[in-house]
Amino acid sequence: MTEPADAATGPLAEAPADAADPAHTATGPLVEAPADAVPGEVVLRLTDVVKTFPGVRALDGVQLEVRAGEVHCLLGQNGAGKSTLIKVLAGVHRPDSGQVEWRGQPAEFANPQAAMRAGIATIYQELDLVEDLSVAENAFLGHEPRRAGFVRRGRMASRTREILGRLGHGEIPPGRMVRALPAAGKQIVSMARALSHEARLIIMDEPSAVLAHDEVGNLFRIIRELTAQGIAVIYISHRLEEIREIGDRVTVLKDGRTTAANLPARDTPTRDLVARMTGRTIEYVFPDRPADSGAGAELLRVDGLSRSGEFADVSLSVRAGEIVGIAGLVGSGRSELLETIYGARRAHAGTVRMAGRALRPGSVGAAVRAGMGMAPEERKSQALLLGEPIYRNVTLATFGRYARLGFTDAGRERAEADRIAGSLELRPRDVRRPVRTLSGGNQQKVVVGRWLLGDTRLLLLDEPTRGVDVGARAELYQVIRELAARGVGVLLVSSEVPEVLGLADRVLVLREGRMVREAPADELDENTVLDLVMAGSLMEGAAA
Amino acid sequence: MSERCRLSWWRGDGGEGARRNLGLIGVLVVLILIGIATRPDLYGDSGWVWNNILTILKLASVVGVVTVGMTFVIIGGGIDLSVGAIVALAGVWCTTLATQGYGAGGMIFTALVVGLCVGLVNGLLVSYGRLVPFIATLAMMVAARGLAAQISGKQTQVSDNAAINGIASTDLLGIPLLVYILATVVVAGWVLLNRTTFGRRTVAVGGNPEAARLAGIDVRRHTVLLYGLSGLCCGIAAVMLTAQATSAQAEMANLYELDAIAAAIIGGTLLSGGRGTIVGSLLGVVIFSTITNLFAINGLSTEAQNMVKGGIIVAAVLVQQFQFRSLAQFLSRNRLSTG
Amino acid sequence: MTQHSRDLSRRRLLFGGAALGAGALLAGCTSNEAAPTAAQTKAAEAAAGGNSAPGKKVTVGFSAPAANHGWIAAITANAKAQAGVYSDVEFTSVEAGADAAAQRAALSTLLAQKPDVIVVLPHDGKELNAFGLEAMKAGVPVVNLDRAFPDARAYRLQIKGDNYGMGVAAATYIAEQLKAKGVSTPIIGEIPGVDSLELTQERSKGFADTLASYGFKVANRRPAAFTADSGQQAATGLLQALPKIDAVWNHDDDQGIGVLAAVNQTGRKEFFMVGGAGSKKAMEDILADKTVLKATVTYSPSMASSAISLARLIGQGRGMSDLVELQVPKEIVLASETITKENASNYLKLGF
Repeated sequence: MTEPADAATGPLAEAPADAADPAHTATGPLVEAPADAVPGEVVLRLTDVVKTFPGVRALDGVQLEVRAGEVHCLLGQNGAGKSTLIKVLAGVHRPDSGQVEWRGQPAEFANPQAAMRAGIATIYQELDLVEDLSVAENAFLGHEPRRAGFVRRGRMASRTREILGRLGHGEIPPGRMVRALPAAGKQIVSMARALSHEARLIIMDEPSAVLAHDEVGNLFRIIRELTAQGIAVIYISHRLEEIREIGDRVTVLKDGRTTAANLPARDTPTRDLVARMTGRTIEYVFPDRPADSGAGAELLRVDGLSRSGEFADVSLSVRAGEIVGIAGLVGSGRSELLETIYGARRAHAGTVRMAGRALRPGSVGAAVRAGMGMAPEERKSQALLLGEPIYRNVTLATFGRYARLGFTDAGRERAEADRIAGSLELRPRDVRRPVRTLSGGNQQKVVVGRWLLGDTRLLLLDEPTRGVDVGARAELYQVIRELAARGVGVLLVSSEVPEVLGLADRVLVLREGRMVREAPADELDENTVLDLVMAGSLMEGAAA
Repeated sequence: MSERCRLSWWRGDGGEGARRNLGLIGVLVVLILIGIATRPDLYGDSGWVWNNILTILKLASVVGVVTVGMTFVIIGGGIDLSVGAIVALAGVWCTTLATQGYGAGGMIFTALVVGLCVGLVNGLLVSYGRLVPFIATLAMMVAARGLAAQISGKQTQVSDNAAINGIASTDLLGIPLLVYILATVVVAGWVLLNRTTFGRRTVAVGGNPEAARLAGIDVRRHTVLLYGLSGLCCGIAAVMLTAQATSAQAEMANLYELDAIAAAIIGGTLLSGGRGTIVGSLLGVVIFSTITNLFAINGLSTEAQNMVKGGIIVAAVLVQQFQFRSLAQFLSRNRLSTG
Repeated sequence: MTQHSRDLSRRRLLFGGAALGAGALLAGCTSNEAAPTAAQTKAAEAAAGGNSAPGKKVTVGFSAPAANHGWIAAITANAKAQAGVYSDVEFTSVEAGADAAAQRAALSTLLAQKPDVIVVLPHDGKELNAFGLEAMKAGVPVVNLDRAFPDARAYRLQIKGDNYGMGVAAATYIAEQLKAKGVSTPIIGEIPGVDSLELTQERSKGFADTLASYGFKVANRRPAAFTADSGQQAATGLLQALPKIDAVWNHDDDQGIGVLAAVNQTGRKEFFMVGGAGSKKAMEDILADKTVLKATVTYSPSMASSAISLARLIGQGRGMSDLVELQVPKEIVLASETITKENASNYLKLGF
C-alpha cells in the first residue's frame, strides 16, 4: 500500500525551482542560497523510518523525498504522524529504525542544534520565540555574532534588518520586542531565524493557521522567494487549497505510514488525496447502533455558546442514551467547546443546561455534580496522575463518595476500580500499578472508567482514541456504546471522521468555531464530512 | 494490610517512598555510628544516650511541626517561605502582655489563630490572587516579620506564664511533652495525607492540577486550605518555641523556612509537587538535628556543620534523581520489549 | 449533591463566625502595654556652673540602625530620652533603614539640614567612614557611637563599649570564682552571639586570652544568634555535649533568656553562668539569685545617653566640667563592668 518513492513523475518538471539560480537570486550577502544547492537535487530522503513511543507506533515506515527548491507538502489527518516526523527531522526525536539521508549522507541529528547546524530549520505552529527579547535577538538566538565574548549588537541588528528586508518585511524594527508583534510578525521572525542559520530546508508546520487571509498571500510570496534560492520547504497544512496554490509535490501520511509519495500538488484530484488520507488500512469495528437510539429525554442543552476567538454561537443538544459526535480539525474550536460546556472555560455568551437546569458558568464542580464527566484531549497532562496507582486515578472524581467522615476507604476504592478494570478489560488488571506503566489505550480506559463510577449521566469525550492502538480502540467503542445503551448521553469530539460517523448517532460539523452541519450519522459519509471539515474550496470536488 | 507487604517495591501504595525512607534511616545510623566513634566516652553511658535521643527529638520538634505543614504545601504544588515569619508573628502576638493576661489558653488560641489566618491569607494570595507561591509567601515573610517587630516594639517579650513555659520542661513517662506534640502532629499529618480525602486532593492538586480540576476538585479552595494548614502548624510551632525560649521576639525562628524545605526535600518530597511522605520529612528533620547534635558533642564549629547540611541536601536530591531516572529507564525498556 | 452544598454553606458560616470572633480577640491582643523601661538618662543637675546649665541652643541629629535587638532599641530610646532632659537640645532622628547604603542615604538628608552635631551608630564603621569625613569637612562634628570609624578624621568624638574587655571581665570573674572553689581543671562553656561579627570575635578573644592566663580553656563553644530561641538551642547542645560543667559565659543577655530556659528545662544546676551586655532582666535574675546566672558583664546602651550629653557640649563648645580640658575628649571607651548580686541594685537603672 505504500507507493514507491520514485513514482514521482511530472511535478518535478514544473517546479519553480527551474528559475532558481543562486547566482542571481541571492540579493543580500547574508541569506545567500547555499552555493552548492542544485535545483532539483534530492536534499532529504527518508526510507522506512519507524518511531515508537510507549504504546504507540507513531511512525511506522515513512518514505519521504524532498528536493532542493521545491515546496513539498505533507498531508495527513491528525494522528497520522506528521508532528512526529517533523520532530525526527528537527532532531527532537531519533528514529528507532530506517534511514535519514541528508544531502547524500546518512544523518542522525542528536539534538535540535545539530539539525539547525546541518541546515534544517523548523517553524512550529506554536512559535518558539522568546517573547521578551527583541526581533534581532530572537533571529540570532544562540548564534549571536560576537567578538571577544561580546555580542555585536550593531551587526546583529543590521543583519536582521537585511534578512527581514529579504522577507519583504523591512518595516519590522530589529529592536522591537517580539511580544509587541502580531502573530504574522512573529512568524516572520521565526523565518528570519531560519534564514540566519542559512537553512537549506525549512519545515513549516501549519504556518497559515495563525494568519489572516491577506497575510497568507504574503507568506506564499516569501516561500516562493525562498524556493527560488534553492531552499527546500516542507509545508504542512490541512487546507487543500493552499497546497494547490503553493505546493509542488505532496506526500500523504496515514497511521504513521506513507500512503502516497510525490503526487503532483496541482493535478492530483482531491478525491485521490482524500482517499489516501482516509483509506483504511485496518477497518475499525464499530458496534451496531441500537434500533431505538436517541429515544431518551433531552439531557444537555447548549444555547448560543460563544468564546471570542474560539467558537461562536454554538447550540446543540444531547439526549439520554444518544451519542453525538462533533467533527472538526484542530483549531476548529472543538476542544474549547467541550471544555466550556464542562465549565473548565468560562463562556462569554450562551447557556449550558443539564436536564433543564442552567449550570453555573466556569465551574467544573457544578458540571460534575450535575452528572457530567469528561475525558480530556491530553490524557497525560489533563487527566492522569501518572505516578499514582491506577485505582486512585479511577476514583479521582469519586473518592469522596467512598470516604466516611473525610477518611478514604482504599479497600472499597480498589474494589470499585477493580470492577471497572474488569468491565473495561484493563491490562494489566492490577489496580495498584502506577498509571505510568500502562499503554495509551489502557490509560484512556482509566480516564473513561473514572466516569463509570458514580452517577455520570453525560460523558464528554475529547479525542478518546488518540494514541490508542487498534485493538483497544474497538474495545473503547464498545464501552462507549454500552454506556449509551445504559442511558448515558455521550458528546464525542474526534478529528477522525470515520470514528465520528461510525460511533455517533448524530453528527455536528464544526469549522472555524461555527457549526456548519448537523445530521444523523447515517445521512453522511466520510468524504462529505471531510469536505465540510476542510476549507471551502474542496466543496466543488465533493459531490454529495 | 498484609497483602500490601507482599507487593514488590514499585507496586505498593507508598512502596517507593518507603524504600527511600529506609535510605534515610541508613543515613541516621551512619551519623549515630560517627557519634559513637568520635565520643565513645559519652555513648558509653546509656543514661546519656537515652537523654541524647530525647534532646535530638526535642531539637527536631519545632522544625518538625513546621515541616509537616510545609510537606503538605509542597506536595500540593506550592512552597511556603513565610513559615519562620509566621512562627515569629504568632509567637510575638501570643506573648504580648494583653494576650498573656488571658492565660495559657488565650495564648495558645491566639498563636493558632494567628498562624491559621496568616496561612489562609497566603493561600488566598496564591489561589485567587494568582500570585506565584514563591512571591506571595516571600512577601508574607517580609510583612509578617515587620508586623512582629511592630507588635513587639523590637523587644524580646518574656513569657511569664508557667503553663506555657512548662510545655518545654514537662515530661510524661520520661518523654518530653514537646516530643509528644511532634509525634501527634506527625501521626495526624500522616493520617491526613494517606487516609483522608484532604490528602488525596493534596496529591492530585500537586501532581496534576489540571487533571484535578477536570475531575471536579476545587483546586483553588484546596490550595487555600493547604496554606492554612501550614500556617496552623506554624502556630503550634510558635507555642512550642515560645515555651522553649520562655520568650518571643520578631527575629525568632530565623530561616526555619529553609530548614523545613530542606528537610522535606531530603525526605523525598518532590519540589514540583505530587509526591512526598510525612515520614520522610520527619526523618529529614531528625537527620538535621542529629547533625547539629553531632557537631555540638564534638565541639566543632557551626560553619562546618552548615557545609555538611548543604552537602546532604545535594546528595539526597542527586540520589533521588538517579533512582527516578533508573526507574523510568527500567519502565520504558520493559514497555519497548513488550510493545 | 444537596448534602454536599449544605455542608459547604454551613462550613462557610462556621468559619466566618470563628474568623470574626478570632479577629476581635486578636485585635485586643496586639496591645502591648508594658511599663516603659526607665530610660537610662542623667537628670539635669541643678548645681550652677555644671555642664547641665542651659546654654546655646543645639540641634543634634541622630541615626542608628533599625532595632532588631533589645540593645539597639535601648540605644535609640536612651538617646531620645537624654535629649529630652535638656531644654537647649533639639533632637532630630532619622531612620537608618536596613543596611549601610540606606543609612548613608538617610544621613545625607540629615546633613543637608545642617544640624550642629550628628550622633551616629553606623551599621558598619568601615562602610560609613566616608560619611564621617564628609560631615566633618562640612563643619558638622560627628559623634561616633560604638562601631568605630577607622579614620580618626571622620569623627570628633568616639564613644564605644569594650568588646575585648567584656571577654576579659567575664573570664576574670569566672576564673577567680573557680580558683576560690579550688577547681583546677574546670570545664568552661561559651555561648557567643552571631559568630561572623567582629564584636563576637573580639569578645571571644578577650575571654580565651584571659582564661589562658589562668591556665584554663574553653571546652565547647556553641554560637547562637542574639535571639532567645537560638540561645535555647545553642545551650541545649552545649549542655548535651558537656555532661558536667563548671562555668558558662553567655555573650548576650537577650539570648540568655533562652539559655536560662534551656538550663531550667534540663534541670542542670552544677555550674554558674555569666551573662553579657547587662539587661534589666539579667540584673533582676542576679539579684533574685534563683538561677545559675550569677553575674553579667556590661556593654551598656547608656553610652547613647552619654553621647547625646557630650554632643550637646561639643555643640556648645564646652568641655566636661569635671575635667581640666576645655573641650570634650576625642575618645571614650566604656569599661566593661562586672555586675554581681552585691552591686546589681546600683546598676538596675542602667539595665535595658
